[in-house]
Amino acid sequence: MKIICFVKLVPDVENFKYDYERNVLVRENVHQILNPEDCSALSVALKLKQENIDVQVETLTMGPEGCRPHLEDLIKRGVDRSILISDKSYVGSDTYVTSRIISRYLEREAFDWIFSGTHSIDGGTAHVPSQVAECLNIPQMGNILRINQAGLFSDRVRTEVDSEDAVLQFEIERPAILSFQYSTKIKLPYIKYEDLERDVSGQLEIVSNSRLRFCDTETGIAGSPTKVSQVEVDSFGRKDTRFLKCDDEGIEEVYQFLKQRGIVCS
Amino acid sequence: MKKVLIYIDPQAVKDSIDLLEAAEQIYGAGESLSYGIVPGTPPADVFGVFDKLISVSPDRAEGFDAAYIADSIEKLHRDFQFDAVLIPATVFGRMIAPRAAMRLQTGLVADVTEIRHHDEEIVMVRPAFSGRMLAGIVNRGGAPVMMSVRQNIFSYAGPRTKKTEEINFNPEPFRKPGIRYISSQPKPQDEDIRESNVLVSGGDGVTRYFDQLNELAEVLNGSVSASRKVVDRGAAPRHIQVGQSGKIVNPSLYIALGISGSIQHVVGIKNAENIIAVNPDRQAPICSLSNIVVEADAREFIPRIIKRIRKGEYK
Repeated sequence: MKIICFVKLVPDVENFKYDYERNVLVRENVHQILNPEDCSALSVALKLKQENIDVQVETLTMGPEGCRPHLEDLIKRGVDRSILISDKSYVGSDTYVTSRIISRYLEREAFDWIFSGTHSIDGGTAHVPSQVAECLNIPQMGNILRINQAGLFSDRVRTEVDSEDAVLQFEIERPAILSFQYSTKIKLPYIKYEDLERDVSGQLEIVSNSRLRFCDTETGIAGSPTKVSQVEVDSFGRKDTRFLKCDDEGIEEVYQFLKQRGIVCS
Repeated sequence: MKKVLIYIDPQAVKDSIDLLEAAEQIYGAGESLSYGIVPGTPPADVFGVFDKLISVSPDRAEGFDAAYIADSIEKLHRDFQFDAVLIPATVFGRMIAPRAAMRLQTGLVADVTEIRHHDEEIVMVRPAFSGRMLAGIVNRGGAPVMMSVRQNIFSYAGPRTKKTEEINFNPEPFRKPGIRYISSQPKPQDEDIRESNVLVSGGDGVTRYFDQLNELAEVLNGSVSASRKVVDRGAAPRHIQVGQSGKIVNPSLYIALGISGSIQHVVGIKNAENIIAVNPDRQAPICSLSNIVVEADAREFIPRIIKRIRKGEYK
């Protein structure tokens, strides 16, 4: 059984700093990390591989060549093969174009399941898994909390999905894209000591436009139907912040504030 | 007259109706005809607010099959040529919108929080990848303009006495479903933090004594919410998470206890009327957003303020 896992490298947005003096976001020296939800999905796949010898796990990433070290790291953790779709002409592609690029690669690949996260922490549009599924005309389900792993080896798998007011159960037919939620319960396997220095470059493959053959007008900023027209810093800083101590005086002031606003009544 | 199609999510009817306000902000009040598409039997609330109503898939699992709804939207668009398609950014709305955009070969903007107009173009504003930046995005492709709209941002206050016309929709069979609905287990209903007037919210600094927030929420007649870190550590359930990946809230009062105010989090409380932050670090980003900052550990603050409130005005 072959599982392809979508893996996106994203800036570590949790560690962005905001410079309130200059009203700008400090983006220098921000590390790239694996998108946490993708990591959860990949962890499920690798655990399955550890427990079943006939499971093959591949990762699929679109991004700059700078992603290589991260992907090599994943190979050392048990991924069989990593594909990096990378081409200068793809830079600036929106989700619509990105999905078409990824789908064109996948059209010629055999697989049983695709795993992904539901959202990425950078864009967070959650478009790509659904749009790739649409291009490939296969089912997709997002916000997955749990799956019945035995089902992966049959034609349909049972999933639990976190929805607005309920946890829903669905059966999804193979092949399909299963998009997971973040989970703290499962982590990537460690790299074994003997694998630390292993040369894994042979298991990493770069796929460029010479293979996927899009015209220039179909990809990148030029090919994208959506265009960012304005970017601005959303400043919701207040100027009149009062700093208080947690002493009688401070507590009294908080209390009076609550009273004035009708939060507490006397 | 412009035509706007709105997906009515049976799990979020009010949020779906609110998109009529977004439609009015795009084309002006009374300048567009609203078409509602709803899986299964239409809920009573939608009559009177939409001009037209199309019910699809009475026998399919109530809108959970995103491919089916996307096919329906495509078919309806061929028949009616909509100028805009709006979908609430609910769990299933977010699966339906990207598929429908692919079928209509149009660009899609996710999680729109504001509509602007610039040089006769419709600018869809959403929090950008950083959360703290706003990106205004335009659709340069053909019609329709398509977006998923963040819940709890727009609020419809227009007429509810329209004569809603139901349109018969009997399309040719679409593709075979690859998803089968099995069952549903409801989550507790009494805890939608978006409906609370007061939120007592805990962050990383209070993970270990998160339970103490309950008492403060109780005396303030509010609810408890949490930052992502607390939820990720398993100290609070995900449905009370505030922020970009959680819920957007707009309470009168937001008390941030031990929350540093990561950009992700701050996006969720932008519309809070008043913010009180309790944090020993006055440089924490949350502080500059707050009306009041109590420079202290939340563990020290909670019992003291509870005591003061209980005492009332007369000491």
